[in-house]
Amino acid sequence: MPLIKFECDASIPEREKHCYIKKPGEDTTQYLPLSNIATIPGSLSERGCSYCGAKLVIGGVVKDAIQMIHGPVGCAYDTWHTKRYPSDNDNFQLKYVWSTGLKEKDVIFGAEKILRKSINEAFDEMPDVKRMFLYTTCTTALIGDDPKAVAAEVMAARPDVDIFVVECPGFAGVSQSKGHHVLNIGWMKDKVGTYEPKITSEYTLNFIGDYNIQNDTLLLTEYLEKMGIQVIAHFTGNTNYDDLCGMHRAKLNVVNCARSAGYIANELKKKYSIPRLDIDAWGFDYTAEGLRKIGAFFGLEKEAEEIIAEESAKWRPKLDWYKEKLTGIKMCIWTGGPRLWHWTRAVEDDLGIEVVAMSSKFGHQEDFEKVIARGRVGTVYIDDANELEFFEVIDMVKPDIIFTGPRVGDLVKKLHIPYINGHAYHNGPYMGFEGFVNMARDIYNATTSPIWELAGQDIRDLSYGNNTTEDIVELPSAEAS
Amino acid sequence: MKDKIEEVVNYIQERCLWQFVSRSWDREENIQGIMEMAVSLFNDEKVVLETDYDRCWFADAKIFISDVKRLFSWSKDLTKEESKALFTGVKDRMLEITVEKSRNEELNVPYY
Repeated sequence: MPLIKFECDASIPEREKHCYIKKPGEDTTQYLPLSNIATIPGSLSERGCSYCGAKLVIGGVVKDAIQMIHGPVGCAYDTWHTKRYPSDNDNFQLKYVWSTGLKEKDVIFGAEKILRKSINEAFDEMPDVKRMFLYTTCTTALIGDDPKAVAAEVMAARPDVDIFVVECPGFAGVSQSKGHHVLNIGWMKDKVGTYEPKITSEYTLNFIGDYNIQNDTLLLTEYLEKMGIQVIAHFTGNTNYDDLCGMHRAKLNVVNCARSAGYIANELKKKYSIPRLDIDAWGFDYTAEGLRKIGAFFGLEKEAEEIIAEESAKWRPKLDWYKEKLTGIKMCIWTGGPRLWHWTRAVEDDLGIEVVAMSSKFGHQEDFEKVIARGRVGTVYIDDANELEFFEVIDMVKPDIIFTGPRVGDLVKKLHIPYINGHAYHNGPYMGFEGFVNMARDIYNATTSPIWELAGQDIRDLSYGNNTTEDIVELPSAEAS
Repeated sequence: MKDKIEEVVNYIQERCLWQFVSRSWDREENIQGIMEMAVSLFNDEKVVLETDYDRCWFADAKIFISDVKRLFSWSKDLTKEESKALFTGVKDRMLEITVEKSRNEELNVPYY
């Protein structure tokens, strides 16, 4: 039976519909795990909340806007600094955190006054910053505050500022995916078309679905600019608020992410007739293919080939060195959604690595169609995996390395299995030619490090130098001293 | 011909993101647009790129045809009529997998 039920799920048999092992000759018309539905009670999910999806993943990346979080201070703190997306303006968006800091009295008496005060305070404290993302949270959604009305009042009093309101409390959807959607579609509806960008090239595009993790965006932008292409908006890595308002002027949308990135591209297609080109920006061969496609669209094939040749000469020997060392190792990818299908063939083709298990926290069925079509026969595919399932999968596939987030990463580390942060990377960037060599280096360093074996030793039973456990002097007790 | 169609379909399944865009309407548009462009490119015919959509399908089809010619040695022996039959068959099979028989319940959701 291709859909599998883990032993740990005996009391939650519904989980069977979320877990799949690919068999020879099967395709996604036969089996497709359920996904993007509510977590089953009793399953220890690793998912995040919908507000987190909007703020931490998409909006919080924008480099020149205040990120005002209307709620208790924890909602702000827990979505600040936990993902590494730098910017070329001294990391403004990572250095500061803004919150209305709600308390019990605000819940009882309403918090619109404190919201108005906080917005004004933030703009007063940072007079050079004129843009703001304003997020609701569970608390302020439940008490019925109207942040759009407050934002409109402030904008009327301060005509030089602009505030984009994201009404996506944590409970709005089943996972962080809902937050991506609400922000993206809201942005398309309210903001795109409100700013006219300065056009500096006849070749213009928007790059949608890259969030500048450890400077991914800078690498990609360098390739595109060398080809003579103007990136009007990078959604949302290292980007300005106003640039994102000018997305309607691009001739092409290049999409690297999925679902809500695709949705904004689809809306731009319907409303402004801008076509959508999906590419993979991770992987050596994939990056070359993506540049060739962009080159073919604009008639810049020669320029694309020059960059591919230059980058290949520089990085291919290093990649090949790592491929020789890494061929045959077994890898798990337990991340959000798109990285499963971006990485599974890339690490196999470029590095000889076998991906033996994949789990998606918030992917939709579109993600599972992609990953099962690309992934290996015999590989385990899981939606919204719980901690006990991870234990069983580890026993089943015996991975050499696991790419996952810090939460599952701590579990993995305690089992002394090499772990790499699949969301924020260890030592990125990981995109592009150079990036995939960085990723290979991190895998090599992790899988050959002695730390994992050493961490498993119980040093209480070991001898050190001339000392043995018999030499350990018992300290006098407090009473005796 | 059926085996050849399946070989090309397997390649597309493993490699091409354009088959799995967000909704039925854009999957159909993409697959039809790229396969029409593929027939012309495969037979070295001049393609007319009037719109940005044409250019986008051309970009995907160009890489696709380059890979088909490189990966499948039998492709060089195909006549023009056979190539038309091949890509029509591939198009039908791709629409079957990604639209008609797809188990993706979001494909026909009108909103996001």
